[in-house]
Amino acid sequence: MIKVLFFGPVADRVQMRETQVEFTPGMTLHEVIVHLGAQHPSAFGIVSFIAVNQTQVHDKQLVLHDNDEIAFMAKFSGG
Amino acid sequence: MSDPVRLQEADFSQDEEIRALQASSKRMGGIATFLGCARDFSEGREVSEISFDAYGIMALSEMNTLRSEAIEKFGLLDARIVHRIGTVKGGDNIVFIAAGAEHRAPALEACRWMIDELKQRVPIWKKEITPQGDSWVTPHP
Repeated sequence: MIKVLFFGPVADRVQMRETQVEFTPGMTLHEVIVHLGAQHPSAFGIVSFIAVNQTQVHDKQLVLHDNDEIAFMAKFSGG
Repeated sequence: MSDPVRLQEADFSQDEEIRALQASSKRMGGIATFLGCARDFSEGREVSEISFDAYGIMALSEMNTLRSEAIEKFGLLDARIVHRIGTVKGGDNIVFIAAGAEHRAPALEACRWMIDELKQRVPIWKKEITPQGDSWVTPHP
């Protein structure tokens, strides 16, 4: 399984903080984005950062591994 | 002694943070600090509380990286970063950054650099709670 986390304004729009996506060998980050983005277009409209296993990623073709953790995040506003 | 990089719900003491920074080296000739506080008025509205959400494990990791980078980039003797999470009221402390160096210039530059970088790199989100409703804060430059 792939663990998917949402925070702050994205979590509000998705109306949950965590979900899971079934892992299939060879699946990419892009596939997860397309899958969840279709269900939550408003939330994914404000996603500015994506992290896989707590590291920010830019390559949406990144191949995922079972038990990876993905976080979809809006622009940060700490401080 | 407390960890130099922390995310915590509880308030912090600037004096204790500075004492801990000073204790790390007697070569320290300049300490610069930044204290971020909660405002009770924003975008024309009264703000009763501010609540924070954070991707804790990644936020802490980024803050530690930020501290290490600042020490390396500015030749600091030590640095500390403390950010509160949970809910705070107007006037409460939010974030404290301290940079200690042999001289004032690198301490001041590093302090400014760390808070600017924190705002861009650390996954923390701020929500203003007002009598008119709640709203997530849009990042300020």
